[in-house]
Amino acid sequence: MSATIPQPIIRLTDVNKTYPGAVPVHVLKGINLEIGRGELVSIMGASGSGKSTLLNILGILDNYDTGTYVLDGTLIRDLSENRAAELRNRMIGFVFQSFNLISYKSALENVALPLFYQGVSRRKRNKLALEQLDRMGLADRAHHLPGELSGGQKQRVAIARALITNPSIILADEPTGALDSRTSKEVMQVFRDLNATTGMTIVIVTHDPGVGEQTNRVIRIVDGLIAPDNSIITPDNSIVVNPTDPIIVE
Amino acid sequence: MLDLFREIVQALSNNKTRTALTGLSVAWGIFMLIVLLGMANGVTSNFRREVQSGGDEKITIFSGRTSEGWQGYKEGRFIQLEDDDRAILASQNGNIVKDVHPTIYGRAKRISTPMDYTSGSYVGCDPYYLESQGLTITSGRFVNNLDMEQMRKVIVLSESSAELLFGSIEQAVGGQVDVDGIAFKVIGVYKSRWGGRQNYVPYTIAAALSRPDGSVDRLEVSLKNVFTETDADDAETSLRSTLANAHTFSPTDQSAVYFWNNFKDRFTQNTAVAILEISVWLLGLFTMLSGIVGVSNIMFVSVKERTHEIGIRRAIGAKPRNILTQILTESIVITTLFGYVGIVLGIAVLELVASIFGGSGDGAQILGDASVDFSIIINVTLVLIVAGALSGLFPALKALKVKPVEALHAL
Ligand SMILES: Nc1ncnc2c1ncn2[C@@H]1O[C@H](COP(=O)(O)OP(=O)(O)O)[C@@H](O)[C@H]1O
Ligand SMILES: [Mg+2]
Repeated sequence: MSATIPQPIIRLTDVNKTYPGAVPVHVLKGINLEIGRGELVSIMGASGSGKSTLLNILGILDNYDTGTYVLDGTLIRDLSENRAAELRNRMIGFVFQSFNLISYKSALENVALPLFYQGVSRRKRNKLALEQLDRMGLADRAHHLPGELSGGQKQRVAIARALITNPSIILADEPTGALDSRTSKEVMQVFRDLNATTGMTIVIVTHDPGVGEQTNRVIRIVDGLIAPDNSIITPDNSIVVNPTDPIIVE
Repeated sequence: MLDLFREIVQALSNNKTRTALTGLSVAWGIFMLIVLLGMANGVTSNFRREVQSGGDEKITIFSGRTSEGWQGYKEGRFIQLEDDDRAILASQNGNIVKDVHPTIYGRAKRISTPMDYTSGSYVGCDPYYLESQGLTITSGRFVNNLDMEQMRKVIVLSESSAELLFGSIEQAVGGQVDVDGIAFKVIGVYKSRWGGRQNYVPYTIAAALSRPDGSVDRLEVSLKNVFTETDADDAETSLRSTLANAHTFSPTDQSAVYFWNNFKDRFTQNTAVAILEISVWLLGLFTMLSGIVGVSNIMFVSVKERTHEIGIRRAIGAKPRNILTQILTESIVITTLFGYVGIVLGIAVLELVASIFGGSGDGAQILGDASVDFSIIINVTLVLIVAGALSGLFPALKALKVKPVEALHAL
């Protein structure tokens, strides 16, 4: 896949992140990454390689130690909690492995909640939420509680919630991790359609190669570093750039 | 605002047990507070009225014996109060003395009618005595000024004397009694809440018949301009020195004449009432405080249980201020809502107490005035809101310390 990135919506330069503690864990060891507007990409890597950490930084849910992160022209650095909340609300839509729906709220109310924090009137946000649910084929489930929905339906509600504020980017952390293979495919199809029809930028974190295959670009992360395009990853989990020995590829 | 309220109602009804428990503790606290304040109000206002029904400020003076020598006189000398002292006391203490009322305790061998007799004493007094002793006329009238001026031979009988001498109260009034050979006309019958049995005649006729020397047994000085305990002490000192001068005894001699007053007691009582009120408020304050701690605790648990939910909310764009507002408002809504339940129940109990005890007379009436006024309710509302806000504040601040990413991981 060629690296012709039109206007990068995400640009990370040498981003480092260490979790402090008795034994500090250096998780991101200098991430350089660009994602263009309208891309559908996956970030793949083994468990513990730092995928979620990276996604949380992309989503301004967590901060990083050194380097720079520019999101849609805005430098994300030392933001106040208010500003971070504002940016999350307007620019980012999250989809999580465990759905993260509020259990005592109906599907409609869950989808409408981001608009509540924008001060949109109840009538208007319910209307928009219903439209969004309808797009996900869930209009008839609008007044069901999350507990009354299947896993695939829950994830589609979560996607509807991520889309309701019309964000610049959708960030999904293992969105199919809790789903069986058939519903996984359905949910991935939703992302693909969304990207194809609206040009929405979508970043999906996964360890499932089957999911990676359905995205237009796979970014591989190994032990806190991004593997360059012209590299391969060895079975003992190291990066080899410009492999010359074909045996290693095997 | 309405939206926020919907959010809160939903959050509160999501965990009914928790809400009910919090509510119950708040309602109970406020209920106790209201009942306590109401009862205390009843007791204190009753105290005040009770004390005031004795009449205006007054000092009663009795004859006594000197306890120290003075100007050549030895100690132990009897000081006899006299009719002349009335004018002396009044003229030399014009700024505080309203009037001086003399009393004579007359001794008759018998007071009789053809029907029966009683070995009664009688009291010579003036019209003021009726009010000052808290007597109630059940039939006829009391001694009046004309009786005094004309030295009428009239008598007011106690109910028991009237029944003994005439068979009934009705027959007594207008009848005649014989007081050691002198005929007195019965003008009235009284009853006393203290159960007195004396029979009253005008002071002037009593003095004429039994006190040629002008002696009196008791002087009741009604006062004005006595507002504080200091005023009361000053009045007593001033009256004593007037008498000391007139009867030649030491103005510091406490036993030459005896002073008795009810208002000094009352000033002490007022202090006691004030202390009672303060302690009730303190008690109330501590009730509130423990309520705040209780609600706060429950809010802490609630916030902890909902860390994950708060994480979700923050991920989708809730600002710290939004979270703070929601938790504070939840806390205020719970506190105020159930606070009012407590208030209503408390007032209901007070009304019940008032209706049970309010009607009956005398002693039981202490609880009859149990009540809370409107200003207390306004105050309590403000206190409730502040208490609710305080209760929610620390849990809310704690919730905000958790980073969104950590909150999302919490389960
Ligand atoms: N809050 C944390 N504190 C300390 N270490 C953490 C924390 N979160 C993740 N880690 C560690 O950082 C590494 C990367 O974690 P993560 O980004 O969740 O990986 P992935 O999502 O790829 O499985 C792991 O070794 C994990 O144990
Ligand atoms: Mg992960």
